[in-house]
Amino acid sequence: MNTKTMFYILKRILLALLTVWVVITITFFVTRLVPGGPFLGEKAISPAAMKALEAKYGLDKPVFEQYTTYLKDIVTEFDFGPSLKQRGRDVIDVIKDGMAISAELGLTAAFAALAVGIVFGAIAALNRNKFVDRVIMVITTAFVSMPSFIMGSLLLLVFAVKLQFFPANGSTADGLVLPIITLALYPMAYITRLTRSSMLEVLGQDYIRTAKAKGVSKAKIIFGHALKNSLIPVITYFGPMLAYIVTGSLVVEKIFAVPGIGRAFVNSITGRDYPLIMGTTIVLATLIVVMNLVSDILYKVVDPRIKFE
Amino acid sequence: MKKFLALLLAGIMLLSFAACDKAPADNDDGDESKNEEVVDEAKETSMAVCLASEPDTIDPALNSAVDGATMVSHLFSGLAKWAQDKDGNLVIVADAAEELVEGVVNDDGTVTYTYTIKDGVKWSDGKAVTAADYVFAWQRAASTALGADYGYMFEVVDGYADIWETDDEDNFVNPDAKLNCKAVDEKTIEVTLANAVSYWNELLAFPTYFPVREDVVANENWAADASTYVCNGAYKIAEWEHNSVIVLEKNENYHDADAVKMDVIEFYLSDDSNNMLANFENGAWLLIDDVPTNEIANLKETYPEEFVVAGQIGTYYVNWNVNQNILPATSTLTGVEAEEAMAEIRSAIGLLYDRNYIVEEIGQAGQVPAPAFVAMGMTNPDGTEFYKTSGNSEEFDGYYDVSKEAIEDNFNAAVDVLKKYYTYDEASGKFTDFPTITYLYNTSDAHKLIGEYLQSALAAVGINMQLENQEWATFLNTRKDGGYTVARNGWLADYNDPICFLDMWTSVSGNNDVQYGKGAHKDLAMYDLDLTAQGYDIKVEDGTWAETYDVLIAEIKACTDTETRYELMHIAEDMLMATGAITPLYYYTDIYMVDDSVQGFFSNPLGYKYFMYCEIAE
Repeated sequence: MNTKTMFYILKRILLALLTVWVVITITFFVTRLVPGGPFLGEKAISPAAMKALEAKYGLDKPVFEQYTTYLKDIVTEFDFGPSLKQRGRDVIDVIKDGMAISAELGLTAAFAALAVGIVFGAIAALNRNKFVDRVIMVITTAFVSMPSFIMGSLLLLVFAVKLQFFPANGSTADGLVLPIITLALYPMAYITRLTRSSMLEVLGQDYIRTAKAKGVSKAKIIFGHALKNSLIPVITYFGPMLAYIVTGSLVVEKIFAVPGIGRAFVNSITGRDYPLIMGTTIVLATLIVVMNLVSDILYKVVDPRIKFE
Repeated sequence: MKKFLALLLAGIMLLSFAACDKAPADNDDGDESKNEEVVDEAKETSMAVCLASEPDTIDPALNSAVDGATMVSHLFSGLAKWAQDKDGNLVIVADAAEELVEGVVNDDGTVTYTYTIKDGVKWSDGKAVTAADYVFAWQRAASTALGADYGYMFEVVDGYADIWETDDEDNFVNPDAKLNCKAVDEKTIEVTLANAVSYWNELLAFPTYFPVREDVVANENWAADASTYVCNGAYKIAEWEHNSVIVLEKNENYHDADAVKMDVIEFYLSDDSNNMLANFENGAWLLIDDVPTNEIANLKETYPEEFVVAGQIGTYYVNWNVNQNILPATSTLTGVEAEEAMAEIRSAIGLLYDRNYIVEEIGQAGQVPAPAFVAMGMTNPDGTEFYKTSGNSEEFDGYYDVSKEAIEDNFNAAVDVLKKYYTYDEASGKFTDFPTITYLYNTSDAHKLIGEYLQSALAAVGINMQLENQEWATFLNTRKDGGYTVARNGWLADYNDPICFLDMWTSVSGNNDVQYGKGAHKDLAMYDLDLTAQGYDIKVEDGTWAETYDVLIAEIKACTDTETRYELMHIAEDMLMATGAITPLYYYTDIYMVDDSVQGFFSNPLGYKYFMYCEIAE
């Protein structure tokens, strides 16, 4: 790795930190601007009790002071504070629990999507306009256009309620099978189509023709030349997809009652659980920024023509 | 490079297949170990249920939710508990107390109760439960330091008012004040109430009154983890996977452990009613406390035995903001005259709604059309329904005739009243100068449907009501601060006494969404209160809300004579209903589904569910 590369990566890391800081700042002030508060309920507590609670959690201080205290706590002590709604739990614990499950769910789905998608994409490209290609295209079009709440509900109904192959509750181990499938279908279909079109493009390139003319074996052309070069768009897509799939599985988490981070995130917002909103936002933002960074660096590894600037 | 990529690709594929396999593989192991357990303890019974998502807290003092209360009721043993007698009727019986004693009235009108704790009442870690534990728990729950939602459940205990007394800037005046209760010895608790309270035994069975131990709760996070959760009830927490499942297992240290039939209860945590239904239908969960609204009609047909509609003490209503002007632009009325007119207008509008349509076509879950604010299920001292004896009509119960036959008469009566204030176009049968109003509700399909119905009912007479929905926390804030004209509202009782529907409307109450005695309404001297017939030296004419309603509620709370007290509560509800600002629509029901193999299950009117005496039929 040369100094230019090092410099580029360092620059990107600093930029990433800056992005996360901007996200923290905006989220912090916006959540305070939204009407409502963590201690409001159908049955109101007295103004005096409200005042006492706000003092206890430091919410009585000026917003800017709360902000600086918050930043100081996360930077110096990695302390995200206590959850205001789930009394007795720290934000960091809530995130750890949720993240463990969401990561298992998301990573499995992402790699399944990648593996199946690339294989089917390659098969479709190599059998262009033949029956196999048509079938793959029809199926993937269906999966790409079907929203996950429909797919999830359908799988739930067929495999959990009617056939009872899997439990309907995602908090058990085999309960994760259906959510993983639901989550993987869209990116899988997308990657299939991406690989197919990209591979078709590559197969039409001069160097493939040259290789063919030289008498290089078909397998070598496909695996050695075509597939490798057609994976660039897939890599571009994979980083953000991974972030999306880990963080954006909310709908799937809801349908299958999976105790992941998505649910914690949404509940924290509806409940105005300020520290939990901040904690989940920071984690998700960091994840997305890191994934983008990784995919940019991977680019370079796959395609030496791309220069870091 | 070629090889590297080929390897990478192969690696990714292998990894992903391994990952695909991982979940089922894990599961296989899990299943095997479970099977072994079953073989080991063949007699152990267990049931899985789902009430709601992860409870905010299961600290008995801090909990204010129904699902949390159900769990806490399984985990703690208060002085009293809800139970079923031989005939299946719900009763309050002594639990940790030897008996539920009668109070002794003191010279100053306060009432002292002395309870003795049964022998052998222990914490789940084996230590003895002492009288001091109860006293500590009560002082803690009522304290300003804890600021519990349900701290006011101790309002009836002498000393509570001192603890919560504040100056004009909401600062507490008596930081050292305590509830008037003490541990006389290891086993004897003495507690003094400010006055006699008919529902005292019910309060003793309420989760906020359950004991906690000082050294346990010294750890502020004690109630969020199975390992630190020490309790004294029928069950203890065996396992808690946050947002996933709370597993309770029988507490061998419970003083009445032999009576507990179900060994293990798994409370699954989910907030998605469709998912709950899927788990119920495939047999995984034996009870679910929520069903998808749009499935109700279907479920009633498919599961006639298992779909349960139980009574619940609560009222779904619509409320007006008394500080919003709804008179026509041309009206010259101001102040008291304007409010008198608007009270009449609001009452009239309340007659335009067909409550039967709402419960039959929209609610579909056995709700009952409401002719009064205090909910069905609240009883008079003689056991009759409070709402049936409210209002002044000989012909119907409550303040409106909600029967189907009365719809037309109600409509005509309402139009006649409105004609006094608004321009009526005889040809179209519509009012032409009713200002456009906005109906505020929190985002939910059910509330939206009701809002749309109300909108159409008003449109029939030319009143244009727009619908505005806000997300829950924003909605609460807007409604509390009076930033609306008409809003959706609902209230569930905490105990069987009408006062919990009435004291929320005092001018200082945080739940006074109508804004009685606040803003401009504060200065309107237009209310009468005459309690001379009840033997009081109170007669106010043209007083403000604070001078009349607040005084009345204070008298009700201090009243020791049950008959008089209920008379006063009827007067209070009359006052509320005369303002027209509260329009009851229906009385809530609690709907849930319970598998027909479950025997010995019961629930109480507050919606708490009890599984300890359940058995599963083969």
